[in-house]
Amino acid sequence: MTTFKLLPFAFLGVLVALPAPAGAALNVITTTADLEALAREVGGDRIKVESLARGYQDPHFVEAKPSFMIKLHRADLLIAVGRELELGWLPPLITQARNSKIQPGGAGYLDASLTARILDIPTGQITRAMGDVHPSGNPHYWLDPDNGKRIARAIAAKLSEMDSANAAYYKERLADFERRVDAADQGWKAQMAPYRGVKVVTYHRSWSNFADHFGLDVIGYVEPRPGIPPSPSHTIALMKAMREQNVKIIIVEPYFDAKTPNSIARETGAKVLVMPPSVGGLPQASDYIKLFDTDVKMLVDAIKATGAK
Amino acid sequence: MDLDTLRFLAAPFAASLILTGIHAYLGVHVVERGVIFVDLSLAQIAAFGATVAILMPFSGGDPHAPGIYWVSLLFTFIGAAVFATIRVKRARIPQEAIIGICYAVASAASILAMSKATSESEHLKDMLVGNILAVSWEEVLKTAALYAAVGVFHYVFRKQFLAISMSHGGGEPPGLNVRLWDFLFYASFGFVVTSSVAIAGVLLVFCYLIVPSVAAMLYSEQIGRRLAIGWSMGTIVSALGIFLSVQLDLPTGAAMVCTFGLVLILMALVRPLLVKRTVETR
Repeated sequence: MTTFKLLPFAFLGVLVALPAPAGAALNVITTTADLEALAREVGGDRIKVESLARGYQDPHFVEAKPSFMIKLHRADLLIAVGRELELGWLPPLITQARNSKIQPGGAGYLDASLTARILDIPTGQITRAMGDVHPSGNPHYWLDPDNGKRIARAIAAKLSEMDSANAAYYKERLADFERRVDAADQGWKAQMAPYRGVKVVTYHRSWSNFADHFGLDVIGYVEPRPGIPPSPSHTIALMKAMREQNVKIIIVEPYFDAKTPNSIARETGAKVLVMPPSVGGLPQASDYIKLFDTDVKMLVDAIKATGAK
Repeated sequence: MDLDTLRFLAAPFAASLILTGIHAYLGVHVVERGVIFVDLSLAQIAAFGATVAILMPFSGGDPHAPGIYWVSLLFTFIGAAVFATIRVKRARIPQEAIIGICYAVASAASILAMSKATSESEHLKDMLVGNILAVSWEEVLKTAALYAAVGVFHYVFRKQFLAISMSHGGGEPPGLNVRLWDFLFYASFGFVVTSSVAIAGVLLVFCYLIVPSVAAMLYSEQIGRRLAIGWSMGTIVSALGIFLSVQLDLPTGAAMVCTFGLVLILMALVRPLLVKRTVETR
């Protein structure tokens, strides 16, 4: 029984020994690694930034850990992807974080989607016949370098508002980032130019913005509805369309099961391309620009290898 | 270091004590009856009810609309009625078979229902299943009050409930309406499980129900002692599991489930030493 009585004290002792936060730098927490990378581009060494989800994790489903609560509690600014991407895990954590600043609508909450160009927003009445619909639009909007710049601008504006002493620094870093993205984007577009209009199938609806920017033609999706296994009729219709249009590439996010895409690839002679949709999804995709370096190279290699059109 | 961490863990720890209190008790019944997976089955039936409710127009597709809880509770009671009925018709078909069938069909039916949802369904499963780390004090207090009521109900009628559970497989206890008491047991049980899963998730609730009871059976035959051992074990494992989850920064629910497993193994290993000693002191 004595161990039992002592337990709370042992518990307390170890917790007190954990390191304390330091410095006056703004404490920024982002939900995804992409937003972390963008915040770092703008904030440089004047902010402390950390992402809750890792780049190889599915941002729809993130298993909450105790450290998340502490990070949210101490955050000056929370940057979220929004558009219901984090709906399954973030809201209860924000509510329980005991931090009034980062509540949605608060001064320390930034929804990065507000200034970005959002695709797939349904117009008019949403009905069941439309199938898979995200009522507030596609939340995978960061996979467009133009949106990357828009998000970075929103972050710079927010940081300058919260930390006006460093506004000039953030402005300069933002300008530098935009210049580098523009330069890199010319290279990416040049690499993709010969393959404009190439037809692909993707697993999830993650690549709409990417396809829009680089001129891919997404003719279908492996999963008819997120999280629901494809029905036989959907898969048969997809394979028929792929054969008719000679689609050679199926893009799959690393966190989805490749069983169904592999069997479709076997049947149709297409190639499954596992491509990271987030910074940190592969070791070489270590920042926002390198993410596109990686994806464009993988895609171009796959197109060359399969002779896709 | 401030007391932030401790403050965050206070509500999850309080919730885990409440779970220990009611589930270690119900676990004794469940293990005696040999219906180990009944909670998974009832939880899945409740989740199916919630999914159906979300599809109905009154909810507006909002998983937190008030009507949803009542629909899922209604489904739970239907499940309880089914389980109470099959016991009376005992004999050839084992009860666990029916429980397993209900689990499989309810799971698959939820998937079918979700495939017909208007808006995206990817978050639905998450929103129906709780995360003990994010439990609020409001939920803790509400759950405590509900479970206290269930506990009083079971205490008042403890003779009837125990008689039925202990006689399972044997002859019918005389002078009892078995079907009625069985239904009351499964209904109150389903009521508790539905609420518990909403704050702690399926795996953790299963552990709170079965592991303390099994661990206690290693050490005692007597109901009272088994309850005391079960409650102590549940409390210690809750504290230890939360502690490990903080120390190693692991997802809290899963860390607690694994702690349950480890402590059970430990208790089984030291059993030969301890049990011999108690025999000697007698």
